Amino acid sequence: MTPISLLHRAAPSLELLRHLLWRSGRGAFRLRATDFPRGEVWRQMHQIGNRSLLFVCVTLSFLGMVLVFQTCLQVNRITGDLSQVGAEFIKILVHEFGPSLCAMMLATRVGAGIAAELGSMVVTDQIDALAMNNVDPIDYLIVPRFVASMVMTGALTTVGVGCAVFAGALTAAYSFHVNPVVFVDPSHVRIGDLVTGFFKCAAYGAAIPLVSGFCGLSAQGGSAGVGRSTTRAVIASSFMVIVLDFVISGVAYFTLQSAP
Amino acid sequence: MISTLRDICREVGAAYLLLLHVGTLLLRGRFDRRELGRSLAAMGADSLPIVALTAFFTGGIMVIQAGIFVRRFGAYGLLGFGAGYATLREVGPLLIGLMFSGRVGANNAAELGTMTVTEQIDGLRALAIDPIAFLIVPRVLAMVIALFCLLLVGDAVALSGGALFGKWLLGVEFSSFFHSFADNLKLADLSVGLVKAAVFGLAIAISSCHFGSSVRGGAPGVGRAVNAAVVASALAIVLSDQLITVLFK
Amino acid sequence: MTAMVECRSLCKSFGVRPLLDRVNVRLASGEICGLIGSAATGKSLLLKLLCGLQASDGGEIFIAGRRLDASSKEELQQSRKHIGMLFQNNALFDFMTVRDNVAFPLVRSGATSAEEIRERVHQTLRAVGLSGSEEKLPAELSGGMKKRVALARALVARPALLLFDEPTAGLDPVTTARIYELLGAEQARTRATMLLVSSDVDGLRRFVPRLLMLHAGRLRYDGPSDKIDSSEDEVVRQFVRGADEGPL
Ligand SMILES: Nc1ncnc2c1ncn2[C@@H]1O[C@H](COP(=O)(O)OP(=O)(O)O)[C@@H](O)[C@H]1O
Ligand SMILES: [Mg+2]
Repeated sequence: MTPISLLHRAAPSLELLRHLLWRSGRGAFRLRATDFPRGEVWRQMHQIGNRSLLFVCVTLSFLGMVLVFQTCLQVNRITGDLSQVGAEFIKILVHEFGPSLCAMMLATRVGAGIAAELGSMVVTDQIDALAMNNVDPIDYLIVPRFVASMVMTGALTTVGVGCAVFAGALTAAYSFHVNPVVFVDPSHVRIGDLVTGFFKCAAYGAAIPLVSGFCGLSAQGGSAGVGRSTTRAVIASSFMVIVLDFVISGVAYFTLQSAP
Repeated sequence: MISTLRDICREVGAAYLLLLHVGTLLLRGRFDRRELGRSLAAMGADSLPIVALTAFFTGGIMVIQAGIFVRRFGAYGLLGFGAGYATLREVGPLLIGLMFSGRVGANNAAELGTMTVTEQIDGLRALAIDPIAFLIVPRVLAMVIALFCLLLVGDAVALSGGALFGKWLLGVEFSSFFHSFADNLKLADLSVGLVKAAVFGLAIAISSCHFGSSVRGGAPGVGRAVNAAVVASALAIVLSDQLITVLFK
Repeated sequence: MTAMVECRSLCKSFGVRPLLDRVNVRLASGEICGLIGSAATGKSLLLKLLCGLQASDGGEIFIAGRRLDASSKEELQQSRKHIGMLFQNNALFDFMTVRDNVAFPLVRSGATSAEEIRERVHQTLRAVGLSGSEEKLPAELSGGMKKRVALARALVARPALLLFDEPTAGLDPVTTARIYELLGAEQARTRATMLLVSSDVDGLRRFVPRLLMLHAGRLRYDGPSDKIDSSEDEVVRQFVRGADEGPL
């Protein structure tokens, strides 16, 4: 395959990607209710947020337990002073593990959901039927999911961090006899940590619906095609989370974290 | 709420039965060897690029996170230890497991789901071929082996990535990074991660095979099954993660 | 009379195999016409080209005298307002109720009041025999009911050009007859131009006065439907008769 023919085949995808980025950005600022059905943003918030709540709570609680367990084990091996573990755990949870692990979970739950829904709309000609009524699928389908995901990623991360702290405090108290009052100590959390965590939530919340919407809208070929596009959405959005995590952490390391 | 709970119990029960069935067939050696080879290539070798990339960035992320502590205490000699410990025992298996679930588990659920809705599974039954021995057992075995091997590669890539970023971002020399790593970490840290990989592989395999082979309702059904499979895999991964961490302290 | 649909040397191919190779079609305003052909010859593709859902590789398409391809997005939208399309697999929005599906073209055109929309949806659903199913979701309907909802959605805005892709596929003979009757009544009332794709050649011949047959990228027959049996083209005769021996 020559580079030219490769470019030729990639052209429709690039066009779709350009539309996605530009339209979603514009749509999120301009939320015109005529572009999508009334209440669609709420419906999507329910889909993305409420229906992932239990999943996020369960996974983040268990991850909180594991992380605290591992850390206490290690600190016991070296210094034996467990009083700072809680404060440091909450700090790293706010700027790193809370947003990133929550987003990894959402990439599977929400990314697969969006791609499966849009992919089956494509292969059953529903997108064409929208076009026949002069409806733009990006304005109509992606923008509400984009807005809902931005809002709900932040909300779910907040809840998830709460669950992780709670589960972590229980683990520390039960397995290592750390007083929960000592453990739950947010004094190490700086403004910089909050800002980093906020930027991560916003970036993940924007990336997941865009990436999986792209995968869903470029599905083709019956039920096998829907399966393929759903799979691609899960990998692409998880990978996007990891890369964004790396980039934002790196930038924060040199700007925010070096500030006192 | 009650009906949700009942649904969850039903799915878990069915997945458990599938696990037992697969286990018996495996012990009796009754499965398709050629399909095993094909699955190993498709699931293991083809996932190598995405796993390596994930591992590389994971190493970078862990070095940055460890760097925050290291810089605060001026303990640059502990960077390799901190990043290595977290990567080998916890973050490496977790992130690579989740990526594997997306790449291989989701794909497997989609493939089996498509075969189910297009009545190919019934076709096998009509030819007196046991679909579990023919399709599912080789895939389960292949996923366990593949994730185990991928984690070995992933750990190596993550540590090299960590060393690279440690030098670029924090100015810690390679020799210092690897000394700190080799002096403080034991083989046990590596093997806990590998045990996790094998168990995660099994969890991903069973949940994706279960949801894939119980699809109903055409193209939307396949999408929903993939969705359910990745969610169930993620849950199974964090639950078994906790279990193994406590068991192997 | 002006032509409602006019294509001149329309070409389209996927990969190396040309699916449409310099096809010319002209439908007068108010005409009813059938399109037949074996599976995967590009019948659905031709309909999608006619409403601009696919871009052609060459040739010209005019809808009501307006150039469709190579026109701006606004012009394309204007043209589509006059086209109603029934998709081969219905393409009902599966997150909307039957009522919302049928109301969709009216709501999006924005020219009618809520009151009027309700009335029109009610009338159209009654015409297709689906009163009482307004609040159901497409997943709860049988195949024939879905087809009729899709039909109602294509008809509701009373477009001047109606494209039907397999309106009777997979339906029993009685429902098929009812659907043809419904389309006939609609045509008598609105004088819309209709193009019907169907694999049910016999049913279609009784309904449409003119037939087109697509084969290997070319139009092999274009003429009155009662003369198709005596066409001099052997391919066409074999296809219509359903004989298993012949050039096909
Ligand atoms: N978007 C597309 N991309 C690639 N191939 C297509 C596309 N649309 C249709 N085709 C191919 O064009 C051929 C004709 O399809 P279609 O118009 O649906 O046939 P039919 O006459 O049965 O309606 C098929 O072989 C199909 O695979
Ligand atoms: Mg067709």
